[in-house]
Amino acid sequence: MKNLFKLALRGLMRNRRRSMVTMLAIAFGFAAIVLFAGYTHNVYDGLGRQSIHGEMLGHLTLYKKGMRTEGKLDPERYLLTAQEVAAISKLVSAEEHVKLVAPRLGMSGLVSNGRASTIFIAEGIEPEAVMKLREGSLTETERKSGMFDNMWMRLDKDRPEVASLSDGLVEMLHLKEGEQAQVLVNTLSGQANAADITLAKSFNTGNAGSNDKFAFVSLELARTLLDAEGRAQRLTILLDDESRTAAMRDSLQAKLTAAGFEVEILTWQELSDFYNQVHGMFDMIFGFIFNIVLTVVIMSVANSMGMTVIERTREIGTLRAIGLKRSGVIRLFTMESMLLTLLGCVTGLLIALLVRWGINLANISYVPPNSASPVPLLVDMDVGRTVFTFILMGLVGTLAAYMPARRAAKKDIIDALGHV
Amino acid sequence: MSDNTSHPPILKLRNIKRRFQLGETTIDALNNISLDIHAGEFLAVWGPSGSGKSTLMNIIGLIDAPTEGEVHFDEQDTRVLDDDALTEFRSKKLGFVFQNFNLVPVLSALENVMLPLQIQGVDEHEARERAAAALVDVGLERFKDSLPDKLSGGQRQRVAIARALVVNPKLVIADEPTANLDSENSRMVVELMREMNRARKVTFVFTTHDQRLLDHVDRKILLRDGNIVSDEVMA
Repeated sequence: MKNLFKLALRGLMRNRRRSMVTMLAIAFGFAAIVLFAGYTHNVYDGLGRQSIHGEMLGHLTLYKKGMRTEGKLDPERYLLTAQEVAAISKLVSAEEHVKLVAPRLGMSGLVSNGRASTIFIAEGIEPEAVMKLREGSLTETERKSGMFDNMWMRLDKDRPEVASLSDGLVEMLHLKEGEQAQVLVNTLSGQANAADITLAKSFNTGNAGSNDKFAFVSLELARTLLDAEGRAQRLTILLDDESRTAAMRDSLQAKLTAAGFEVEILTWQELSDFYNQVHGMFDMIFGFIFNIVLTVVIMSVANSMGMTVIERTREIGTLRAIGLKRSGVIRLFTMESMLLTLLGCVTGLLIALLVRWGINLANISYVPPNSASPVPLLVDMDVGRTVFTFILMGLVGTLAAYMPARRAAKKDIIDALGHV
Repeated sequence: MSDNTSHPPILKLRNIKRRFQLGETTIDALNNISLDIHAGEFLAVWGPSGSGKSTLMNIIGLIDAPTEGEVHFDEQDTRVLDDDALTEFRSKKLGFVFQNFNLVPVLSALENVMLPLQIQGVDEHEARERAAAALVDVGLERFKDSLPDKLSGGQRQRVAIARALVVNPKLVIADEPTANLDSENSRMVVELMREMNRARKVTFVFTTHDQRLLDHVDRKILLRDGNIVSDEVMA
């Protein structure tokens, strides 16, 4: 086996140019896959953090059963009562790995600068909860890039009238930080209710569709405006470890059902349509690129090994004459191909690491579709998909040599020895 | 010369016929050949081109099968052996020396000689020692690390002889071993094979046109048109 390995390795050195070209085809293909996988990993990770921390979905969201389908028609019935909010919050907070349970109350209405008004959609949340939910929303590189500075919004826990409007909304109404505006909403019973708000620094939602509508207000103000003392539309649950999300959902669902609460708990992935759409699109593109690269690898290796077999026909005859079995010939050429593929993958990995380093250092940004602001172009190292690609390419590269190797093994010894 | 016929034959050919089909033409390369080869013989098969020498050597070397007839090697009827068994049989009992040396160009002289042992599964240390000893036997210990393209034709053929002998074969098949060598190297190669034959009792069967080689043999078989015309044991 060791000798076959040596023979295979030296076999690659015979026609260095051809081996080099094949190896580089594999290397660039592998590098392309690793870089694209790293880019999508960064996008998924960013979107995940944006959903959990930026959009403040938390890891889990708890609703009263039916809220998501019937809640708009009959909010009075499907909001969690003050007693339910208190009891469920106590039960959930007692769980290990739960960092935060935050009641939320959504509302919509009109916001006015005194001369003109426009519609808004607002989220009522406790100012302290905002701070906790925002923790970990940016990586060190993203924070340093400064591109997300305008996405921060702050509420004031001592001043419930302070609200933060999205950039588009502020721009539309010609409002500035510190100025006052008026909001008008319907209470749960359908009565009109208005209040003055003081504007905190505006923020960018990161989404062009919501950047001229969205606002954050304190939970206290939302409850006052909706006349929903102590109540909540949902509870946002933040965990200390994202990987526990599904398990925690199952565990909480079982415990709360056993305690007599009719609730449903959804993960952030189930709630974030945008995340799922982007994930699906990138997965499809990845699959497309992966298949193209794999085809190139198969064809390069098969072509290279086919030529090698022809060139070394007499040697195959000699080896067969002195005692190498047909299976040994197949092993020899498939091992040669495996070495070539693995060498290509290792070279590709080095290229990918180098390019990744350059991209991450270059501070490149771009504006994704439907986004209100640029985002940095960063490439992660997706270890899982890199290892998977490495193994699969090694396997496919080896198998690509099987047909030429089998043809070599089946050669008649006399014909092979007489080959010129 | 020694009387090798007192030994039992290591190879028995009985009524060997070999036909080739070239388009619609059938060529009878060998016609009803029967032959015994005894251990320790130094035997030449000679004859004009197209007489069937190479075909006979291929059948003796178990790399070709006769169309009709029986080949018994070391009392084993080779007709019952499948390809893997025949390959293993060749690996253990036969050595090959080719006209064009057929060394693996990317392996050193020593590694070329180690190759048949490693194919047999002999561990690397033992294979290295035995190959080094075989290179000493052919006077090439100084060139053990040289690649074939750094060796002269005569040296390459000596490496090929070492490769054939390293497995202690019952029989060495040499197809025109001096055809690509100058007269000095031819003489050295012939003397080397003869020495190995005498000192180690290795049986050699080779084809040749070279009269100098024929002068050294114990027995020479003349082939013409696929028939044995004469089988002469030298005095």
